[in-house]
Amino acid sequence: MTAPRDINTTPRASAQQPRRPSEGAELIMFLEQEQLVSDRAIAVPQARLGGRAQAALWLLRIFALIVSFMVIYTFVAQLS
Amino acid sequence: MAPLETAGHSLEPVAAGVGLTHEDAVRSLDRSRVFHARRHGRHWSLLWLLAGPGILAMLGENDGPSMISYAATGATYGTGFFVPFIAVTFAMAIICQEMCMRVGAVTHRGYGELVLQRYGKVWGWFSAGDLAFTNLVTLIAEFVAIRVGMAYFHLGAPVAAALGVVLVLFTMSGGRYWRWERIVLGMALFNGLFLISAILVKPHWGSVAHALTFTPFPGGSFNTLLLLLASTIGATVTPWMIFFQQGASADKGMTSADIKHGRWDTVAGGVLAAIFGIGALLAGAALLTHNGANIPDHGLAGAGFPAAIRAVSGGPAATVFALGLIEAGAVAVLTISASTAYAAGECIGVSRSFNNSPRHALIFYLANAGVALIAAAIILIPGAPLLSIALNANVLAAVLLPVALVFVVMLANDRDLMGKWVNKRSTNVIAITIIAFVAIFAAAYGIDSFLGTVHIIGAG
Repeated sequence: MTAPRDINTTPRASAQQPRRPSEGAELIMFLEQEQLVSDRAIAVPQARLGGRAQAALWLLRIFALIVSFMVIYTFVAQLS
Repeated sequence: MAPLETAGHSLEPVAAGVGLTHEDAVRSLDRSRVFHARRHGRHWSLLWLLAGPGILAMLGENDGPSMISYAATGATYGTGFFVPFIAVTFAMAIICQEMCMRVGAVTHRGYGELVLQRYGKVWGWFSAGDLAFTNLVTLIAEFVAIRVGMAYFHLGAPVAAALGVVLVLFTMSGGRYWRWERIVLGMALFNGLFLISAILVKPHWGSVAHALTFTPFPGGSFNTLLLLLASTIGATVTPWMIFFQQGASADKGMTSADIKHGRWDTVAGGVLAAIFGIGALLAGAALLTHNGANIPDHGLAGAGFPAAIRAVSGGPAATVFALGLIEAGAVAVLTISASTAYAAGECIGVSRSFNNSPRHALIFYLANAGVALIAAAIILIPGAPLLSIALNANVLAAVLLPVALVFVVMLANDRDLMGKWVNKRSTNVIAITIIAFVAIFAAAYGIDSFLGTVHIIGAG
Protein backbone atom coordinates (compact mmCIF):
# COMPACT_ATOMS: atom_id res chain seq x y z
CA MET A 1 0.00 0.00 0.00
CA THR A 2 1.32 3.46 -0.86
CA ALA A 3 1.31 6.40 1.53
CA PRO A 4 -1.68 8.75 1.61
CA ARG A 5 -1.49 11.98 -0.39
CA ASP A 6 -3.44 15.16 -0.94
CA ILE A 7 -6.66 15.02 -2.94
CA ASN A 8 -5.81 18.09 -5.03
CA THR A 9 -3.07 16.26 -6.89
CA THR A 10 -5.20 13.21 -7.71
CA PRO A 11 -6.61 13.10 -11.24
CA ARG A 12 -10.31 12.29 -11.52
CA ALA A 13 -11.28 9.46 -13.79
CA SER A 14 -13.99 9.64 -16.41
CA ALA A 15 -17.50 8.83 -15.21
CA GLN A 16 -18.27 7.08 -18.51
CA GLN A 17 -16.16 4.00 -17.85
CA PRO A 18 -15.98 2.31 -14.47
CA ARG A 19 -12.45 2.37 -13.14
CA ARG A 20 -10.96 -1.03 -12.72
CA PRO A 21 -9.75 -1.69 -9.20
CA SER A 22 -6.02 -1.78 -8.77
CA GLU A 23 -3.85 -2.95 -5.94
CA GLY A 24 -1.79 -0.35 -4.14
CA ALA A 25 -4.05 2.51 -5.18
CA GLU A 26 -2.88 5.90 -3.95
CA LEU A 27 -4.58 7.10 -0.82
CA ILE A 28 -6.11 10.44 0.08
CA MET A 29 -6.22 10.72 3.85
CA PHE A 30 -6.13 6.90 4.02
CA LEU A 31 -9.00 6.54 1.52
CA GLU A 32 -8.84 5.35 -2.07
CA GLN A 33 -10.20 7.96 -4.44
CA GLU A 34 -13.19 5.78 -5.31
CA GLN A 35 -14.13 5.62 -1.62
CA LEU A 36 -14.73 9.36 -1.44
CA VAL A 37 -18.33 10.50 -1.16
CA SER A 38 -17.86 12.69 -4.22
CA ASP A 39 -16.69 9.73 -6.31
CA ARG A 40 -19.41 7.41 -5.05
CA ALA A 41 -21.98 9.98 -6.12
CA ILE A 42 -20.98 9.34 -9.75
CA ALA A 43 -23.10 6.52 -11.15
CA VAL A 44 -21.39 3.54 -12.77
CA PRO A 45 -22.40 3.23 -16.44
CA GLN A 46 -25.26 0.90 -17.30
CA ALA A 47 -24.33 -2.54 -18.60
CA ARG A 48 -25.90 -3.85 -21.79
CA LEU A 49 -27.86 -7.02 -21.14
CA GLY A 50 -28.50 -9.32 -24.08
CA GLY A 51 -31.96 -10.50 -25.03
CA ARG A 52 -31.44 -13.94 -23.51
CA ALA A 53 -30.18 -12.50 -20.25
CA GLN A 54 -33.18 -10.13 -20.05
CA ALA A 55 -35.57 -12.99 -20.79
CA ALA A 56 -33.94 -15.22 -18.16
CA LEU A 57 -34.15 -12.45 -15.58
CA TRP A 58 -37.83 -11.84 -16.34
CA LEU A 59 -38.56 -15.59 -16.12
CA LEU A 60 -36.88 -15.75 -12.73
CA ARG A 61 -38.74 -12.65 -11.59
CA ILE A 62 -42.12 -14.05 -12.67
CA PHE A 63 -41.28 -17.37 -11.00
CA ALA A 64 -40.45 -15.56 -7.73
CA LEU A 65 -43.66 -13.53 -7.86
CA ILE A 66 -45.85 -16.57 -8.53
CA VAL A 67 -44.27 -18.66 -5.75
CA SER A 68 -44.43 -15.66 -3.37
CA PHE A 69 -48.14 -15.36 -4.14
CA MET A 70 -48.61 -19.08 -3.39
CA VAL A 71 -46.78 -18.84 -0.05
CA ILE A 72 -48.71 -15.71 0.99
CA TYR A 73 -52.04 -17.22 -0.14
CA THR A 74 -51.39 -20.39 1.86
CA PHE A 75 -50.37 -18.37 4.91
CA VAL A 76 -53.51 -16.21 4.75
CA ALA A 77 -55.75 -19.23 4.07
CA GLN A 78 -54.31 -20.99 7.14
CA LEU A 79 -55.18 -17.98 9.29
CA SER A 80 -58.88 -18.26 8.55
CA MET B 1 -19.41 13.65 19.03
CA ALA B 2 -15.76 12.73 19.72
CA PRO B 3 -13.09 14.68 17.80
CA LEU B 4 -11.61 12.81 14.85
CA GLU B 5 -7.89 12.37 15.39
CA THR B 6 -5.16 10.18 14.00
CA ALA B 7 -1.56 10.18 15.20
CA GLY B 8 -2.40 13.20 17.39
CA HIS B 9 -3.62 15.31 14.47
CA SER B 10 -7.23 16.35 14.01
CA LEU B 11 -8.62 15.05 10.75
CA GLU B 12 -11.55 17.44 10.32
CA PRO B 13 -9.62 20.61 9.30
CA VAL B 14 -7.38 18.58 6.98
CA ALA B 15 -10.43 16.96 5.40
CA ALA B 16 -12.16 20.29 4.97
CA GLY B 17 -8.97 21.72 3.47
CA VAL B 18 -8.93 19.13 0.70
CA GLY B 19 -12.68 19.25 0.08
CA LEU B 20 -13.68 16.05 1.84
CA THR B 21 -16.96 15.56 3.64
CA HIS B 22 -17.44 14.67 7.29
CA GLU B 23 -18.31 11.13 6.20
CA ASP B 24 -14.97 10.88 4.37
CA ALA B 25 -13.13 12.17 7.43
CA VAL B 26 -14.77 9.63 9.75
CA ARG B 27 -14.11 6.76 7.37
CA SER B 28 -10.58 8.00 6.92
CA LEU B 29 -10.02 7.79 10.67
CA ASP B 30 -11.05 4.13 10.69
CA ARG B 31 -8.91 3.44 7.65
CA SER B 32 -5.88 5.12 9.27
CA ARG B 33 -5.94 2.39 11.95
CA VAL B 34 -6.07 -0.31 9.28
CA PHE B 35 -3.24 1.42 7.39
CA HIS B 36 -0.98 1.56 10.45
CA ALA B 37 -1.80 -2.00 11.57
CA ARG B 38 -0.94 -3.30 8.10
CA ARG B 39 2.22 -1.23 7.81
CA HIS B 40 3.49 -2.48 11.17
CA GLY B 41 2.50 -6.09 10.48
CA ARG B 42 0.05 -6.27 13.41
CA HIS B 43 -2.00 -9.15 12.05
CA TRP B 44 -4.33 -9.68 15.03
CA SER B 45 -5.03 -5.98 15.21
CA LEU B 46 -5.81 -5.99 11.50
CA LEU B 47 -8.19 -8.90 11.93
CA TRP B 48 -9.94 -7.10 14.81
CA LEU B 49 -10.25 -3.90 12.78
CA LEU B 50 -11.56 -5.59 9.65
CA ALA B 51 -13.92 -8.10 11.30
CA GLY B 52 -17.54 -7.10 11.41
CA PRO B 53 -19.77 -7.24 8.34
CA GLY B 54 -19.35 -11.00 7.81
CA ILE B 55 -19.88 -12.01 11.44
CA LEU B 56 -22.81 -9.61 11.75
CA ALA B 57 -24.49 -10.86 8.57
CA MET B 58 -24.15 -14.50 9.66
CA LEU B 59 -25.02 -14.11 13.34
CA GLY B 60 -27.69 -11.57 12.38
CA GLU B 61 -29.25 -14.28 10.25
CA ASN B 62 -29.21 -16.62 13.25
CA ASP B 63 -32.21 -14.53 14.13
CA GLY B 64 -35.40 -15.14 16.04
CA PRO B 65 -37.37 -16.91 13.27
CA SER B 66 -34.29 -18.93 12.29
CA MET B 67 -33.74 -20.17 15.82
CA ILE B 68 -37.46 -20.93 16.18
CA SER B 69 -37.27 -22.76 12.81
CA TYR B 70 -34.27 -24.81 13.98
CA ALA B 71 -35.96 -25.61 17.29
CA ALA B 72 -39.20 -26.56 15.46
CA THR B 73 -37.18 -28.78 13.13
CA GLY B 74 -35.43 -30.44 16.07
CA ALA B 75 -38.74 -30.94 17.89
CA THR B 76 -40.31 -32.49 14.78
CA TYR B 77 -37.47 -34.58 13.32
CA GLY B 78 -34.72 -34.76 15.94
CA THR B 79 -31.07 -34.31 15.03
CA GLY B 80 -30.83 -36.69 12.08
CA PHE B 81 -30.46 -35.16 8.62
CA PHE B 82 -30.92 -31.56 9.75
CA VAL B 83 -27.60 -31.21 11.64
CA PRO B 84 -25.54 -31.72 8.47
CA PHE B 85 -28.19 -29.87 6.44
CA ILE B 86 -27.65 -26.74 8.58
CA ALA B 87 -23.89 -27.08 8.10
CA VAL B 88 -24.39 -27.32 4.32
CA THR B 89 -26.69 -24.28 4.21
CA PHE B 90 -24.12 -22.20 6.09
CA ALA B 91 -21.43 -23.33 3.65
CA MET B 92 -23.78 -21.99 0.94
CA ALA B 93 -24.14 -18.76 2.89
CA ILE B 94 -20.36 -18.34 3.10
CA ILE B 95 -20.05 -18.64 -0.70
CA CYS B 96 -22.82 -16.07 -1.28
CA GLN B 97 -21.69 -13.62 1.38
CA GLU B 98 -18.05 -13.76 0.29
CA MET B 99 -19.15 -12.52 -3.13
CA CYS B 100 -21.07 -9.64 -1.52
CA MET B 101 -18.10 -8.67 0.66
CA ARG B 102 -15.77 -8.80 -2.35
CA VAL B 103 -18.06 -6.67 -4.55
CA GLY B 104 -18.51 -4.14 -1.72
CA ALA B 105 -14.79 -3.95 -0.98
CA VAL B 106 -13.76 -3.58 -4.62
CA THR B 107 -16.48 -1.18 -5.82
CA HIS B 108 -17.11 0.65 -2.50
CA ARG B 109 -20.79 0.58 -3.38
CA GLY B 110 -23.82 -1.23 -2.02
CA TYR B 111 -25.79 -3.95 -3.80
CA GLY B 112 -28.89 -1.81 -4.38
CA GLU B 113 -27.10 1.07 -6.07
CA LEU B 114 -24.99 -1.23 -8.25
CA VAL B 115 -28.03 -3.19 -9.50
CA LEU B 116 -29.92 0.05 -10.08
CA GLN B 117 -27.08 1.78 -11.93
CA ARG B 118 -25.64 -1.19 -13.76
CA TYR B 119 -28.78 -3.08 -14.78
CA GLY B 120 -31.41 -0.35 -14.80
CA LYS B 121 -34.09 1.09 -12.57
CA VAL B 122 -36.57 -1.74 -13.10
CA TRP B 123 -34.26 -4.38 -11.60
CA GLY B 124 -32.98 -1.98 -8.95
CA TRP B 125 -36.46 -1.17 -7.70
CA PHE B 126 -37.58 -4.80 -7.90
CA SER B 127 -34.63 -5.70 -5.65
CA ALA B 128 -35.44 -2.86 -3.27
CA GLY B 129 -39.12 -3.85 -3.25
CA ASP B 130 -38.27 -7.50 -2.46
CA LEU B 131 -36.02 -6.34 0.32
CA ALA B 132 -38.52 -3.89 1.81
CA PHE B 133 -41.23 -6.56 1.82
CA THR B 134 -39.15 -9.45 3.20
CA ASN B 135 -37.45 -7.15 5.71
CA LEU B 136 -40.76 -5.95 7.09
CA VAL B 137 -42.08 -9.51 7.41
CA THR B 138 -38.80 -10.70 8.92
CA LEU B 139 -38.65 -7.76 11.32
CA ILE B 140 -42.14 -8.60 12.54
CA ALA B 141 -40.86 -12.13 13.14
CA GLU B 142 -37.84 -10.71 15.03
CA PHE B 143 -40.12 -8.81 17.36
CA VAL B 144 -42.15 -12.01 17.71
CA ALA B 145 -38.97 -13.79 18.84
CA ILE B 146 -38.19 -11.06 21.37
CA ARG B 147 -41.77 -11.31 22.57
CA VAL B 148 -41.54 -15.11 22.90
CA GLY B 149 -38.31 -14.79 24.90
CA MET B 150 -39.70 -12.06 27.11
CA ALA B 151 -42.97 -13.90 27.71
CA TYR B 152 -40.90 -16.54 29.50
CA PHE B 153 -39.96 -13.82 32.01
CA HIS B 154 -43.61 -12.68 32.19
CA LEU B 155 -42.93 -9.51 30.19
CA GLY B 156 -45.51 -8.49 27.60
CA ALA B 157 -45.47 -7.45 23.94
CA PRO B 158 -45.13 -3.70 24.69
CA VAL B 159 -41.83 -4.31 26.50
CA ALA B 160 -40.57 -6.42 23.57
CA ALA B 161 -41.58 -3.73 21.06
CA ALA B 162 -40.01 -0.96 23.14
CA LEU B 163 -36.75 -2.87 23.61
CA GLY B 164 -36.26 -3.36 19.87
CA VAL B 165 -37.02 0.24 18.98
CA VAL B 166 -34.85 1.68 21.78
CA LEU B 167 -31.94 -0.51 20.67
CA VAL B 168 -32.25 0.73 17.08
CA LEU B 169 -32.33 4.37 18.22
CA PHE B 170 -29.44 3.88 20.66
CA THR B 171 -27.09 2.08 18.27
CA MET B 172 -27.61 4.47 15.37
CA SER B 173 -26.85 7.53 17.48
CA GLY B 174 -23.25 8.65 17.48
CA GLY B 175 -22.58 9.17 13.78
CA ARG B 176 -19.99 6.39 13.50
CA TYR B 177 -20.19 3.11 11.60
CA TRP B 178 -17.45 1.75 13.86
CA ARG B 179 -19.50 2.45 17.03
CA TRP B 180 -22.63 0.86 15.55
CA GLU B 181 -20.70 -2.20 14.38
CA ARG B 182 -18.90 -2.82 17.68
CA ILE B 183 -22.07 -2.52 19.78
CA VAL B 184 -23.98 -4.94 17.54
CA LEU B 185 -20.95 -7.28 17.32
CA GLY B 186 -20.77 -7.40 21.12
CA MET B 187 -24.46 -8.25 21.32
CA ALA B 188 -24.22 -10.84 18.52
CA LEU B 189 -21.70 -12.95 20.44
CA PHE B 190 -24.51 -13.80 22.88
CA ASN B 191 -25.92 -15.93 20.06
CA GLY B 192 -23.72 -18.54 21.77
CA LEU B 193 -26.48 -18.86 24.38
CA PHE B 194 -28.10 -21.40 22.07
CA LEU B 195 -25.03 -23.61 22.34
CA ILE B 196 -25.19 -23.36 26.14
CA SER B 197 -28.89 -24.20 25.98
CA ALA B 198 -28.07 -27.27 23.88
CA ILE B 199 -25.49 -28.42 26.43
CA LEU B 200 -27.98 -27.90 29.27
CA VAL B 201 -30.63 -30.15 27.66
CA LYS B 202 -28.01 -32.93 27.79
CA PRO B 203 -28.35 -34.32 24.26
CA HIS B 204 -26.98 -37.72 23.35
CA TRP B 205 -23.71 -36.58 21.76
CA GLY B 206 -23.23 -39.94 20.06
CA SER B 207 -26.47 -39.37 18.13
CA VAL B 208 -25.34 -35.88 17.18
CA ALA B 209 -22.03 -37.23 15.87
CA HIS B 210 -23.92 -39.94 13.98
CA ALA B 211 -26.23 -37.28 12.46
CA LEU B 212 -23.17 -35.61 10.92
CA THR B 213 -22.76 -38.65 8.68
CA PHE B 214 -26.01 -37.68 6.92
CA THR B 215 -28.81 -39.86 8.17
CA PRO B 216 -31.62 -40.65 5.72
CA PHE B 217 -34.17 -38.11 4.59
CA PRO B 218 -36.78 -37.78 7.36
CA GLY B 219 -40.32 -39.10 6.90
CA GLY B 220 -43.65 -37.70 8.04
CA SER B 221 -45.82 -35.04 6.39
CA PHE B 222 -44.31 -34.08 3.04
CA ASN B 223 -45.58 -30.51 3.25
CA THR B 224 -44.24 -30.00 6.78
CA LEU B 225 -40.90 -31.39 5.66
CA LEU B 226 -40.82 -29.00 2.68
CA LEU B 227 -41.77 -26.09 4.95
CA LEU B 228 -38.95 -26.90 7.34
CA LEU B 229 -36.44 -27.45 4.51
CA ALA B 230 -37.36 -24.18 2.78
CA SER B 231 -37.48 -22.38 6.08
CA THR B 232 -34.06 -23.78 7.10
CA ILE B 233 -32.60 -22.54 3.81
CA GLY B 234 -34.32 -19.19 4.35
CA ALA B 235 -32.85 -19.17 7.85
CA THR B 236 -29.34 -19.19 6.41
CA VAL B 237 -29.15 -17.06 3.27
CA THR B 238 -31.54 -14.15 2.76
CA PRO B 239 -31.86 -11.01 0.62
CA TRP B 240 -31.20 -8.69 3.56
CA MET B 241 -27.80 -10.32 4.19
CA ILE B 242 -26.79 -9.47 0.62
CA PHE B 243 -27.75 -5.81 0.98
CA PHE B 244 -26.27 -5.66 4.46
CA GLN B 245 -22.85 -7.19 3.95
CA GLN B 246 -22.14 -5.35 0.72
CA GLY B 247 -23.41 -2.03 2.12
CA ALA B 248 -21.59 -2.49 5.43
CA SER B 249 -18.33 -3.48 3.71
CA ALA B 250 -18.50 -0.26 1.68
CA ASP B 251 -19.53 1.82 4.71
CA LYS B 252 -16.70 0.33 6.77
CA GLY B 253 -14.31 1.45 4.05
CA MET B 254 -13.00 -1.97 3.06
CA THR B 255 -10.84 -2.13 -0.04
CA SER B 256 -9.52 -4.87 -2.29
CA ALA B 257 -6.49 -5.07 0.03
CA ASP B 258 -8.83 -6.24 2.80
CA ILE B 259 -10.47 -9.09 0.91
CA LYS B 260 -8.40 -11.79 2.64
CA HIS B 261 -9.51 -10.57 6.06
CA GLY B 262 -13.06 -10.09 4.79
CA ARG B 263 -13.05 -13.76 3.86
CA TRP B 264 -11.89 -14.74 7.35
CA ASP B 265 -14.61 -12.55 8.80
CA THR B 266 -17.25 -14.23 6.62
CA VAL B 267 -16.02 -17.78 7.32
CA ALA B 268 -15.79 -17.11 11.07
CA GLY B 269 -19.34 -15.76 11.02
CA GLY B 270 -20.59 -18.78 9.07
CA VAL B 271 -18.91 -21.34 11.33
CA LEU B 272 -20.13 -19.63 14.53
CA ALA B 273 -23.65 -19.30 13.13
CA ALA B 274 -23.73 -22.98 12.10
CA ILE B 275 -22.59 -24.11 15.57
CA PHE B 276 -25.10 -21.88 17.35
CA GLY B 277 -27.89 -22.85 14.91
CA ILE B 278 -27.22 -26.53 15.55
CA GLY B 279 -27.35 -25.64 19.26
CA ALA B 280 -30.93 -24.37 18.80
CA LEU B 281 -31.81 -27.54 16.89
CA LEU B 282 -30.42 -29.75 19.67
CA ALA B 283 -32.34 -27.77 22.31
CA GLY B 284 -35.53 -28.24 20.27
CA ALA B 285 -34.74 -31.93 19.69
CA ALA B 286 -34.98 -32.51 23.44
CA LEU B 287 -38.74 -32.04 23.00
CA LEU B 288 -39.02 -34.86 20.44
CA THR B 289 -38.08 -37.70 22.79
CA HIS B 290 -40.28 -36.35 25.61
CA ASN B 291 -43.44 -36.01 23.59
CA GLY B 292 -43.00 -32.29 24.01
CA ALA B 293 -43.24 -31.40 20.35
CA ASN B 294 -46.78 -30.27 21.01
CA ILE B 295 -45.58 -26.69 21.35
CA PRO B 296 -49.01 -25.05 20.99
CA ASP B 297 -49.86 -26.37 24.47
CA HIS B 298 -47.19 -24.02 25.73
CA GLY B 299 -48.86 -20.92 24.38
CA LEU B 300 -47.76 -18.04 22.14
CA ALA B 301 -49.47 -19.54 19.11
CA GLY B 302 -47.07 -22.41 18.70
CA ALA B 303 -43.85 -20.54 19.45
CA GLY B 304 -43.61 -21.21 23.18
CA PHE B 305 -40.34 -23.14 23.01
CA PRO B 306 -38.79 -21.84 26.26
CA ALA B 307 -41.78 -23.02 28.31
CA ALA B 308 -41.76 -26.37 26.49
CA ILE B 309 -38.02 -26.81 27.11
CA ARG B 310 -38.51 -25.99 30.81
CA ALA B 311 -41.10 -28.76 31.05
CA VAL B 312 -38.66 -31.27 29.55
CA SER B 313 -35.14 -30.14 30.48
CA GLY B 314 -35.57 -27.79 33.41
CA GLY B 315 -35.39 -24.09 34.10
CA PRO B 316 -31.74 -23.26 33.29
CA ALA B 317 -31.90 -24.59 29.70
CA ALA B 318 -35.21 -22.81 29.14
CA THR B 319 -33.97 -19.53 30.63
CA VAL B 320 -30.85 -19.56 28.45
CA PHE B 321 -32.96 -20.41 25.38
CA ALA B 322 -35.36 -17.54 26.14
CA LEU B 323 -32.45 -15.11 26.60
CA GLY B 324 -31.02 -16.41 23.32
CA LEU B 325 -34.29 -15.67 21.53
CA ILE B 326 -34.27 -12.10 22.88
CA GLU B 327 -30.66 -11.66 21.73
CA ALA B 328 -31.29 -13.23 18.31
CA GLY B 329 -34.32 -11.04 17.70
CA ALA B 330 -32.63 -7.89 18.96
CA VAL B 331 -29.45 -8.29 16.87
CA ALA B 332 -31.49 -9.08 13.77
CA VAL B 333 -33.72 -6.05 14.35
CA LEU B 334 -30.53 -3.94 14.25
CA THR B 335 -28.95 -5.57 11.19
CA ILE B 336 -32.17 -5.88 9.18
CA SER B 337 -33.15 -2.28 9.91
CA ALA B 338 -29.67 -1.27 8.80
CA SER B 339 -29.99 -3.24 5.55
CA THR B 340 -33.31 -1.47 4.87
CA ALA B 341 -31.62 1.87 5.48
CA TYR B 342 -28.71 1.02 3.15
CA ALA B 343 -31.17 -0.04 0.43
CA ALA B 344 -33.30 3.10 0.85
CA GLY B 345 -30.27 5.39 0.65
CA GLU B 346 -28.77 3.52 -2.29
CA CYS B 347 -31.92 3.38 -4.39
CA ILE B 348 -33.01 6.95 -3.70
CA GLY B 349 -29.44 8.12 -4.22
CA VAL B 350 -28.86 9.93 -0.93
CA SER B 351 -26.29 9.52 1.83
CA ARG B 352 -26.34 6.01 3.29
CA SER B 353 -23.76 5.81 6.01
CA PHE B 354 -23.61 5.50 9.76
CA ASN B 355 -20.58 7.79 9.39
CA ASN B 356 -22.89 10.66 8.50
CA SER B 357 -25.08 12.59 10.91
CA PRO B 358 -28.88 12.18 10.86
CA ARG B 359 -29.11 15.77 9.57
CA HIS B 360 -27.10 14.85 6.46
CA ALA B 361 -28.48 11.34 5.99
CA LEU B 362 -32.08 11.85 6.99
CA ILE B 363 -33.61 9.17 4.74
CA PHE B 364 -31.03 6.60 5.87
CA TYR B 365 -31.80 7.17 9.54
CA LEU B 366 -35.56 7.50 8.99
CA ALA B 367 -35.68 4.19 7.09
CA ASN B 368 -33.60 2.54 9.82
CA ALA B 369 -35.91 3.61 12.64
CA GLY B 370 -39.14 3.66 10.63
CA VAL B 371 -39.15 0.02 9.55
CA ALA B 372 -38.41 -1.10 13.13
CA LEU B 373 -41.25 1.07 14.42
CA ILE B 374 -43.76 -0.39 11.94
CA ALA B 375 -42.76 -3.98 12.80
CA ALA B 376 -42.91 -3.21 16.52
CA ALA B 377 -46.42 -1.83 16.13
CA ILE B 378 -47.63 -4.96 14.31
CA ILE B 379 -46.60 -7.38 17.07
CA LEU B 380 -48.79 -5.48 19.48
CA ILE B 381 -51.80 -6.91 17.61
CA PRO B 382 -53.20 -9.62 19.91
CA GLY B 383 -53.65 -13.23 18.72
CA ALA B 384 -51.09 -13.16 15.88
CA PRO B 385 -49.96 -16.69 14.76
CA LEU B 386 -46.39 -16.32 15.91
CA LEU B 387 -44.84 -19.64 14.84
CA SER B 388 -46.50 -19.43 11.45
CA ILE B 389 -45.25 -15.86 10.93
CA ALA B 390 -41.71 -16.89 11.88
CA LEU B 391 -41.60 -19.91 9.54
CA ASN B 392 -43.29 -18.16 6.60
CA ALA B 393 -40.97 -15.16 6.91
CA ASN B 394 -38.06 -17.50 6.27
CA VAL B 395 -39.83 -19.23 3.38
CA LEU B 396 -40.61 -15.91 1.69
CA ALA B 397 -36.97 -14.92 2.04
CA ALA B 398 -35.97 -18.20 0.38
CA VAL B 399 -38.46 -17.64 -2.48
CA LEU B 400 -37.09 -14.18 -3.31
CA LEU B 401 -33.47 -15.14 -2.76
CA PRO B 402 -32.66 -16.66 -6.20
CA VAL B 403 -33.35 -13.35 -7.97
CA ALA B 404 -31.09 -11.45 -5.58
CA LEU B 405 -28.36 -14.08 -5.88
CA VAL B 406 -28.40 -13.96 -9.68
CA PHE B 407 -27.53 -10.25 -9.53
CA VAL B 408 -24.80 -10.92 -6.96
CA VAL B 409 -23.24 -13.44 -9.36
CA MET B 410 -23.60 -11.00 -12.27
CA LEU B 411 -21.92 -8.21 -10.30
CA ALA B 412 -19.15 -10.51 -9.08
CA ASN B 413 -18.47 -11.48 -12.72
CA ASP B 414 -18.52 -7.91 -14.05
CA ARG B 415 -14.92 -7.40 -15.13
CA ASP B 416 -15.44 -3.66 -15.67
CA LEU B 417 -16.38 -3.29 -12.03
CA MET B 418 -14.32 -6.01 -10.41
CA GLY B 419 -11.16 -6.17 -12.52
CA LYS B 420 -9.04 -9.12 -11.41
CA TRP B 421 -11.37 -9.77 -8.46
CA VAL B 422 -14.07 -11.39 -10.63
CA ASN B 423 -15.42 -14.81 -9.65
CA LYS B 424 -13.43 -17.89 -10.46
CA ARG B 425 -15.15 -20.49 -12.61
CA SER B 426 -15.48 -22.85 -9.63
CA THR B 427 -17.19 -20.12 -7.58
CA ASN B 428 -19.67 -19.57 -10.41
CA VAL B 429 -20.48 -23.29 -10.64
CA ILE B 430 -21.10 -23.47 -6.88
CA ALA B 431 -23.12 -20.22 -6.86
CA ILE B 432 -25.38 -21.34 -9.72
CA THR B 433 -25.90 -24.71 -8.01
CA ILE B 434 -26.91 -22.86 -4.83
CA ILE B 435 -29.38 -20.68 -6.76
CA ALA B 436 -30.98 -23.77 -8.34
CA PHE B 437 -31.06 -25.59 -4.98
CA VAL B 438 -32.79 -22.67 -3.21
CA ALA B 439 -35.25 -22.12 -6.07
CA ILE B 440 -36.25 -25.81 -6.19
CA PHE B 441 -36.91 -26.14 -2.44
CA ALA B 442 -38.76 -22.82 -2.17
CA ALA B 443 -40.88 -23.61 -5.25
CA ALA B 444 -41.60 -27.14 -4.01
CA TYR B 445 -43.01 -25.84 -0.73
CA GLY B 446 -44.90 -22.96 -2.39
CA ILE B 447 -46.53 -25.16 -5.04
CA ASP B 448 -47.27 -28.12 -2.74
CA SER B 449 -48.84 -25.99 -0.02
CA PHE B 450 -50.81 -23.90 -2.53
CA LEU B 451 -52.23 -26.95 -4.29
CA GLY B 452 -53.10 -28.45 -0.90
CA THR B 453 -54.80 -25.24 0.18
CA VAL B 454 -56.95 -24.99 -2.94
CA HIS B 455 -57.68 -28.75 -2.57
CA ILE B 456 -56.16 -29.76 -5.91
CA ILE B 457 -54.06 -32.29 -4.02
CA GLY B 458 -54.53 -33.72 -0.54
CA ALA B 459 -52.92 -31.72 2.24
CA GLY B 460 -49.83 -33.24 3.85
